[in-house]
Amino acid sequence: MPPEWMEGSPRPFSKVLVANRGEIAVRILRAARESGLVGVAMYSDSDASSLHVEVADEAVRIVGDTLDQTYLNGSAIIEAAKSCEADAIHPGYGFLSERAGFAREVESSGIVWIGPPAEAIETMGDKISARRLMIDSGVPVIPGEEVPVEDGADHLGNLAISAARVGYPLLLKASAGGGGKGMRAVSEPKSLRSEYEAAAREASAAFGDGTVYVERLLRNAKHVEIQVLCDSHGKAVHLNERDCSLQRRYQKVIEEAPSPAVSGSKREEMGQAAVTAAMSVGYVGAGTVEFLLASNGDFYFLEMNTRLQVEHPVTEMTTGVDLVQKQFEVAAGLGIGFEQHEVSQNGHSIEARIYAEDPRSGFLPSTGKLSMWRQPSGPGIRVDSGVREGDEVTIDFDPMLAKLIVHAPNRGAAIRRMDAALSEFVALGVTTNIEFLRNALNHASFRDGSIDTDFLDNSDPRELDGEEYDEGTLVAIAAAAQRLGLGSARNDSGEAVDEHTGHQGDPFRTLRRTFP
Amino acid sequence: MEWSVSSGNSRYKPTLEDRDGSIHVSSMSRDGMEVHPPDAAISADSQQGRLSVEVDGNQMIAHVARDGDSWWIHIDGRAHVVNLLEQGSGSASKDEGALTAPMPGTILDLMVKEGQRVREGQALMVLEAMKMEHRITSPKSGEITRLHYGKGDRVDMGSVLVEIGD
Repeated sequence: MPPEWMEGSPRPFSKVLVANRGEIAVRILRAARESGLVGVAMYSDSDASSLHVEVADEAVRIVGDTLDQTYLNGSAIIEAAKSCEADAIHPGYGFLSERAGFAREVESSGIVWIGPPAEAIETMGDKISARRLMIDSGVPVIPGEEVPVEDGADHLGNLAISAARVGYPLLLKASAGGGGKGMRAVSEPKSLRSEYEAAAREASAAFGDGTVYVERLLRNAKHVEIQVLCDSHGKAVHLNERDCSLQRRYQKVIEEAPSPAVSGSKREEMGQAAVTAAMSVGYVGAGTVEFLLASNGDFYFLEMNTRLQVEHPVTEMTTGVDLVQKQFEVAAGLGIGFEQHEVSQNGHSIEARIYAEDPRSGFLPSTGKLSMWRQPSGPGIRVDSGVREGDEVTIDFDPMLAKLIVHAPNRGAAIRRMDAALSEFVALGVTTNIEFLRNALNHASFRDGSIDTDFLDNSDPRELDGEEYDEGTLVAIAAAAQRLGLGSARNDSGEAVDEHTGHQGDPFRTLRRTFP
Repeated sequence: MEWSVSSGNSRYKPTLEDRDGSIHVSSMSRDGMEVHPPDAAISADSQQGRLSVEVDGNQMIAHVARDGDSWWIHIDGRAHVVNLLEQGSGSASKDEGALTAPMPGTILDLMVKEGQRVREGQALMVLEAMKMEHRITSPKSGEITRLHYGKGDRVDMGSVLVEIGD
């Protein structure tokens, strides 16, 4: 039975399969339950006891060892949806969310696709066709050109000619890349070959395609993106901007809304350009139009992400619009439900991505067991997590563990709230970037809002090192913890077991226990 | 018992004493030299995995988790790792000159050969993990005495990749 709010809609549905994992699957499954839908998780064997399976109403197993056999296996996912009678599929972000072929298969099998039309994914997913469409629609684009790349041909010569025309420094983008994969900066002609080869390898490893696009690299620019929302009745609104300038190798690290660099009139101008971009491709649902904002106020279309973004919560916090709920409504054929002038901008929100990675060894992903995981809480603090205490972090998946989002009346208060929340975030057993996030957040250039997209890649790592804690004190705590028998092995029920006696619990702790 | 902090190389040997219901450090040596012991009083907290710590008169809570001989400590808003060292082992950083895989992955490219001299920070190989490429650089200047893997090989976390002599 579809929920009551869906009554009378053209495409009602009642059961949603979430074709994803981690924090975004958890986020969508919770939203589904909240709005009266049945949420179904899918999982591979290595994910059988993951958080997203736990929070789902139902879960289906997809057999296979690799991503291609599981989370990237469109036909198996559609079969799974049919087997549990799910009548809608939400793809989340990543995985199959921007595969037009998958969207088409879902729709042709009679299942509601909670995402944009396949044609919109196709046009925007191909950087070259997206660029052509933007030029035709009057949306400004960065100077650049495409280079056809065929297997076995001598593509380097053509690439060098195009590169010379566009001018260095430049950016190589595999047409099918994304999220920083298959994208390389080239500062001078002599490194063109090695960077091209790396980009092509990454793109084919991640996305199974190897074509390349050459683009002028703009320095001192900010990454500002506009959230758009469109319904199937031809109506489109924008939900203001997000500033994602704090990036490392094109991976966003900290995002915020509003942007410290965007004025009210610039917001209007960029918002209008984003709505034009979305309308030109016949967009339906929640999407994001990414721009580079130059220091002189000019902005250029980067790409459109035809899906929910990782950083969508900062928009939700400042506009009060639940984007996943809106995705459900629009997929069911309902209208947006509000007008552009009703979109509010309330306070300031910041998101920090918590990664299992080691900033001290070149940000290599780290693995291990999350032996302690205590999330911060309090007014204006939201944690979208895909993990819980005791979970094993492996290299099988993306190293993002959770997102910490804060909301406060203004930017200064939001930075202080984020710093306090990060300092309360206890994640032990796996090395994380939490300390690095604090150091970046507290850097003078972030605080005054002047950073550009190259800030992290160009800064001296030592500048981003935190204070050293007294080693002697740390050793004293570890030695005392050992003497007190802390952190001893746990039995299956989670009770501490004394390593020597095998008994549960610490008798002294029991004696010391106070009762209300 | 000797300890070291993951981010440092010194070896510490604390002597603990119980006083007024909490644990204090009566003396401490660093790399065999007597140093001023930290002014810390540590006691159990009513909650699992927590310690009550008083440092220089400031009272705070430390979260502690153990993983084998490594102790993970979260105090004053930051996480640290302290390792219990085996008695009599030479230096805090084992296998000096041997570079180990920081994580499991596949070797995409090798830029050096055995016998080649390398500078500190020079790229030695490219390791692919989680669909991203990571450059492995030389921790010191010296000669490559041994390459344990070739292009295309899969490596486990901690496997010795390269040995570098002086």
